[in-house]
Amino acid sequence: MDTNKIILITGTRKGIGRYLSEYYLEKGLVVIGCSRGESDLAHPRYEHFCIDVADEKRVVEMIAAVRKRHGRIDYLLNNAGIAAMNHSLLTPLSVVERIFRTNVFGTFLFCREVGKVMAKSKAGRIVNFATVATPLKLEGESAYAASKAAIVSLTQVLAREFAPFHITVNALGPTPVYTDLVRNVPKEKMERLLQMQTIRRFGTFEDISNVLDFFLQDGSRFITGQVIYLGGVS
Amino acid sequence: MDGKKIEEIVITAFNEYFETQDIQGKVDADTVLFGEESALDSMGLVNVVIDIESFFHAEGYNISLTSERAMSRKSSPFRTVSTLVDFIAELIDEASK
Repeated sequence: MDTNKIILITGTRKGIGRYLSEYYLEKGLVVIGCSRGESDLAHPRYEHFCIDVADEKRVVEMIAAVRKRHGRIDYLLNNAGIAAMNHSLLTPLSVVERIFRTNVFGTFLFCREVGKVMAKSKAGRIVNFATVATPLKLEGESAYAASKAAIVSLTQVLAREFAPFHITVNALGPTPVYTDLVRNVPKEKMERLLQMQTIRRFGTFEDISNVLDFFLQDGSRFITGQVIYLGGVS
Repeated sequence: MDGKKIEEIVITAFNEYFETQDIQGKVDADTVLFGEESALDSMGLVNVVIDIESFFHAEGYNISLTSERAMSRKSSPFRTVSTLVDFIAELIDEASK
């Protein structure tokens, strides 16, 4: 991976996004991050934007600013996402709306705006974040799993639409990783979930960056519209 | 930015695209952009829209030609060069308020 590449990662304040920012900074890339709150990640090659990923106006402004400063974006990782675990009969619509706003609308907006920048340079790699909750059809995660099912569909259609511009669009479906997102889930529930995987353990940050490196490497230019689930889930 | 300047930018974007694609013909205010009478296919129009947007972004106008307003109109602003120029002028006017 060339060190002068520019990678944009959403949801970088904590968890997987924070790890990925540090991981790609370590590799020498320029990292553009964003989250609703401020980031305490201080690095000469890290730039942070405080935005809601589903706020269209702010996303357009952010990408215009990045384009103006750097002229191009090589990679986009649509990591920002939220989850809520609850029985559907007890889930308020506002929660479903919030999940879809961040997970689906946010991903769509970044794909569209960054896609325009990549289309200009006739090159680019986009990786969206799916989840094993979709193929495992996890009870208690209807809104989250459905929002990520939309991401799979979005990824596959965008792969076709963006192919003429030499942009690949793929998705990664992580298993639970021990982050804030799963910290509050009861232990027995998490254990049951892990038992549904082929390889029955939590995912690690390294499991995620390994797949991302594969999608982003130069040799993967013929790979698009694919979804790779971790832990042997399919 | 006045209408004349906007028209100049839009026409330049189309002419440049036509040139790269070996499409014959000169673009003017009445050039049809979409449909059977157009020399552009749908991907061609996407390409030019991206070029036009990026030009205005570089000039400091963060306009989006794919706004809901464009899509919901009875008659599309993407019919001809002049309807597109009028639409961009509206967006710029609104953005500067």
